[in-house]
Amino acid sequence: MSVTSAVSSDYNSGVSNVPIEHQFNPYSDNGGTVLGIAGEDFAILAGDTRHTTGYSINSRYEPKVFSVGDELLITANGFAADGDALVKRFRNQLKWYHFDHKKNLTIKSAARFIQHLLYGKRFFPYYVHTIIAGLDEEGKGAVYSFDPVGSYEREQCRAGGGAASLIMPFLDNQVNFKNQMDPDSNGTAKKELKYLKLDEVISLVRDAFSSATERHINVGDGLEILIVTKDGVRTEYYPLKKD
Amino acid sequence: MNHGPYDWGRPSDDTYGAYNHQIAAANNSQFPKMNTQQPIVTGTSVIAVKYQDGIVLAADNLGSYGSLARFSDIERLLPVGDSTIVGISGDISDLQQIERILDDLQVQDSYDMEKPNLKPEHVHEYLSRVFYNRRSKMDPLWNSTIVAGLSSTNELVLKYADLLGVTYSSPAIATGFGAHLAIPLLRRKVETEEDASKLTEEEAVELVRNCMKVLFYRDARSIDKYSLAVISQSRKKIDIHKGLRCEDMKWEFAKHIRGYGAPQL
Amino acid sequence: MSSIGTGYDLSNAIFSPDGRNFQVEYASKAVENAGTSIGIKCRDGVVLAVEKIQTSKLLVAGRNKRIQSIDRHIGVAYSGIIPDGRHFVNRGRDEAQSFKSLYKDPIKVPNLIDRVGLYVQNYTCANSVRPFGINAIVGGVDDDGAHLYMIEPSGVYWGYCGTAIGKGRQTAKAELEKLDLPNISVKDGVKEAARIIYLAHEDNKDKEFELEISWVSQSETGGRHEFIPQELFDAAVQYAQEEDDDEEEEDEDVEVQ
Repeated sequence: MSVTSAVSSDYNSGVSNVPIEHQFNPYSDNGGTVLGIAGEDFAILAGDTRHTTGYSINSRYEPKVFSVGDELLITANGFAADGDALVKRFRNQLKWYHFDHKKNLTIKSAARFIQHLLYGKRFFPYYVHTIIAGLDEEGKGAVYSFDPVGSYEREQCRAGGGAASLIMPFLDNQVNFKNQMDPDSNGTAKKELKYLKLDEVISLVRDAFSSATERHINVGDGLEILIVTKDGVRTEYYPLKKD
Repeated sequence: MNHGPYDWGRPSDDTYGAYNHQIAAANNSQFPKMNTQQPIVTGTSVIAVKYQDGIVLAADNLGSYGSLARFSDIERLLPVGDSTIVGISGDISDLQQIERILDDLQVQDSYDMEKPNLKPEHVHEYLSRVFYNRRSKMDPLWNSTIVAGLSSTNELVLKYADLLGVTYSSPAIATGFGAHLAIPLLRRKVETEEDASKLTEEEAVELVRNCMKVLFYRDARSIDKYSLAVISQSRKKIDIHKGLRCEDMKWEFAKHIRGYGAPQL
Repeated sequence: MSSIGTGYDLSNAIFSPDGRNFQVEYASKAVENAGTSIGIKCRDGVVLAVEKIQTSKLLVAGRNKRIQSIDRHIGVAYSGIIPDGRHFVNRGRDEAQSFKSLYKDPIKVPNLIDRVGLYVQNYTCANSVRPFGINAIVGGVDDDGAHLYMIEPSGVYWGYCGTAIGKGRQTAKAELEKLDLPNISVKDGVKEAARIIYLAHEDNKDKEFELEISWVSQSETGGRHEFIPQELFDAAVQYAQEEDDDEEEEDEDVEVQ
């Protein structure tokens, strides 16, 4: 099995005599981007509806943000098969939680549980950026975001997926008022944090997605925004550019 | 001395030493465990489009062995139950494995001796789980498939599933080369569900047949013989037309091509 | 049974001195008082029918089927302990599926009966198990035509032109012998099956029953084992009831004389 060369030179010094292993790649990237924002008494979770592999648009409408009951929204963006599998497992376990405990799953518990689902595959990870949104025990908007292996954090807002790096700085500035000063302080005091109203958030999200659509090839076609309030979950759809 | 019945007929450990079980192990240490790494005999694109009363889908009859056109009578549109068609591209031996899995599913469905309960949404879910479980074992079934049919509520189902377990739904779907060559043609007529609801059956069949012709022109792993299935909501019926040919082709340009094969004068 | 109570009937693994396995014989007792099942081999297929005794008025009509499919082309009707029958059918399905997985063709009926026969026989050999409490009538069609078998708790099976088991078996067998088997059509077979079950029910008159009829034939069902269509079922029941009434009238005549 050894590969030996007659002459040693600069050109064959890199030749290895280890058998070449061709490996099946179990992952792919199905594009898209997602975004969650928590308000004072509401939370939203939004995603574009384009589904891709490489340069091909597989579908212009394939939703990836789901309302799974208990006023919980979930999305797992990245490798779509893993995302679907994760959401499916979560839905199933949520059903069992109801059977076993006869009560709703709080978003705090949902977040910890999703950590277990993700970390359980630490050495063959779900290739997804997971975000959940809902209301916490006090009725305040909550967004939790996860890395592919289950590290998580509660945040005021988070963008995930292909255009996360485009949207997140915009959100830092517009939701958490990063680099904004109080206009009356003459540049000496930071602008005070305050909750945004729902209509402000919706227009932020729409701006974020139409801008991401311009700059990212895997984002576009449609925007689906799921909104949780104390009255339940509702969905809004806005078209995005299809090019 | 080893007298137990389990050891009958084996050389004595005292004389020859204990048997080295590694010798008989199928995957011994020299190589990593090997699963399917590449497709062998392959089928090319499957294409499908929705129209106002159903779905039209097509796949040619070629089984390629690399660049060799090895088999010309491969049927890649499989009926499952009485309201589903599964179109399969990719590895043909895996296609046959899927054919068997789906046949077992149908036999199990018939145990209650009622009408078939197996609907396209079930077939698609099942198939995509099989794909995902196999990819998670790093032993994939090397296929891209389109599942089409009439659901339990007599609505149209048109979905995709592939070797990675990736799934999606769209009014126009194509696998393989078709995703590059046929999709632009299909989307020119059917971009949205609303467009699909305006397309007649005749237009849909003509559209798909034109795509098969374009694929035969441009896809080197295709053949001009194909099967085409028409799923009709109003007739509650599926018709599969076999052995169709690409028609009205123009090959005049071919004689002007230079630079390949034997020198031409 | 002179040896009863001598201890030789307590185990499968022990013969009685006169060479009998009492556990197997007791299993047959479980079958003898059950609802009647019959199988008719016809020119172009097989008809199966059962007299399903309804133990309660609360049971849903038309459900809890006693005839089952082993594969597309093979059906079973059985009398005896129902869960044993269910288990028998599951084993048959596994065998049929494994045959098809290995050889692609659907399993032939004689081969299937061979396999399940071996399986049933195994339950007569060990101390830790009891034999199947059923007689199963297995019918189907394959490339060689129609086949009808009945398998017993001992694991033995015979091929038949017509066979019956359960409480009304004697009556049913007597009627089957009068038919020109296997030279009748399955359509006629269906009518006769209904008539025979109604007749055999005379032996179990005090109980309500439901009739189940299935068939498998190349000409009528394309080689698939199916329950007969409703119209045919209704016609067969009507025929059976008319024949039944005629017979009663004849009986009355006799009494008058």
